[in-house]
Amino acid sequence: MGIAYNFDWGVLWRQPYGVWLLKGVWLTIQLGLLGWFIALALGIFIGTIRISRWRWLRFLGTAYVEVFRNIPFLVQLFFWYYAGPMLFGQTLQFRINAIIGLNYYVAIVALGLYTASRVAEHVRAGFGSIARDQYQAALSTGLTEVQMYRYVIIPYALRIIIPPLTTEFLTIFKNSSIAMTIGVAEATFMSYKIDSETFHGLEATTGAMAIYLILGLAVVKLMGILESRFRIAGLVGRK
Amino acid sequence: MRKIFIITFCFILSMILIGSVVLADETMDRIEKTGKLRVGFREDSIPFAFIDPKVGKQVGFSVDMTYELAKKLSEHFGKKIEVEPFTVTTKTRIPMVANATVDVEMGSTTYTQEREDVVDFSLIFFFSETTFLVPKDSPIKTIQDLNGKRLAGARGTTNLKAIEDQAAKGLYKPREIITVEGHAQGFLALRTGKFDAYSTDRSLLEGLRMKDANPENWRTCDFAIAYEPYGYMMRKNTSDFRHFLNDTIRWSIKTGKFFELYDKWMGPKGVVPIPISPAYKSYLEVIVYPMQENWWKKK
Repeated sequence: MGIAYNFDWGVLWRQPYGVWLLKGVWLTIQLGLLGWFIALALGIFIGTIRISRWRWLRFLGTAYVEVFRNIPFLVQLFFWYYAGPMLFGQTLQFRINAIIGLNYYVAIVALGLYTASRVAEHVRAGFGSIARDQYQAALSTGLTEVQMYRYVIIPYALRIIIPPLTTEFLTIFKNSSIAMTIGVAEATFMSYKIDSETFHGLEATTGAMAIYLILGLAVVKLMGILESRFRIAGLVGRK
Repeated sequence: MRKIFIITFCFILSMILIGSVVLADETMDRIEKTGKLRVGFREDSIPFAFIDPKVGKQVGFSVDMTYELAKKLSEHFGKKIEVEPFTVTTKTRIPMVANATVDVEMGSTTYTQEREDVVDFSLIFFFSETTFLVPKDSPIKTIQDLNGKRLAGARGTTNLKAIEDQAAKGLYKPREIITVEGHAQGFLALRTGKFDAYSTDRSLLEGLRMKDANPENWRTCDFAIAYEPYGYMMRKNTSDFRHFLNDTIRWSIKTGKFFELYDKWMGPKGVVPIPISPAYKSYLEVIVYPMQENWWKKK
């Protein structure tokens, strides 16, 4: 005798569950966008110092990338949330732990730091894909090294790496669901919560799946627009 | 599917009802005739009814209470009444009580109104309380002290839901309600000051406290914000039997036997130490009305 499962899609918009899910989606978007901001800024910086002329700067960049991309994100998140504040010493630790919404901030920073290591690798690959002649040509026009990077190399490299960055941008939204484990009430958290209250887990999970799919498609569309907007004829792509 | 079950139960119950029109209380008559009290015991409900691996049979607070009942029944009928144990699980306990396989289920079943539709409950003998673990010198002493505090519970527990529900009802106004993944993380976060109070069942909180290197640095609050009442379960319309069981519980409280058993299983040296909260203690004191010696004598 099997136990029939009665689908009730109403839980997705019935009060208060619909509002929960929407609140969760809003948090997921915040985590993804703010985390991406940190990841992009830090990732470009780390990626650039990895090809720097100074050895210790290169070493610093490499160390950062290897540490952050080789530790599972879940472990990193737990570390930052539970052990992170301890790094600041006894008195400051309790100050930090008393911050309202600490888990939310930790999740954003952790997502940013983790994704930055991956962005940095793409940035380095982008620099690598620019021919040596290009560097020499830029220097021979009288640009300083910093100017060369600022006006020639970085603008090229960023355009080249738009497709792999799209993947990272998508991944940050998907990784944001792990923030649930430190109690950030994002979309997956809310779908679990609806499940525990209504026992309609399949509907709630399907709802969450649809949300992530829509978010992902929106990101792909956005990055596609960016890509065509900043395209330099003949640089990448066939058109 | 649930409806079919309930209809089946109602059908069985109605058959029993028809039978009991003639007999005053079928259960009491049958116990007298056969000399056996058929009881359903859980195997995993520590410390109420569980298998002791050393003896290979069920032991626990509710099991001891069953033997108290059998003793009083023996005195009532003037003949030896033996306990015949049956194993029940959370899935089978209600059907087995309703279809008369056992006379009573003595374990740790939560009293609910839905269950009351299908079976009868004895007096409530225990409360599983939702309360808080706090540092020893915490200012949290009453429910009002929870105002403006940061509270936490584990995801998916009834305790977390209780914190949220009571806050929504306005019992207190916490500054923040935080969700953690499990009790170990909850305790770790409490220790590092991520919130002011961590919540789950009183028994589990005591367990967490005892596991700490310095248990005396922590305390569980005296108050509770939600209760899960436990009662013994029997077939509907067995009022003489139910009355007898209730009187056994009350008598044991009056004579102190109840507290002796409580101390054996849930005292400081018991299997699961659960301190008796002031509210629970007053409840036990209140339900004992003046009882005559020899109440169990057959009239």
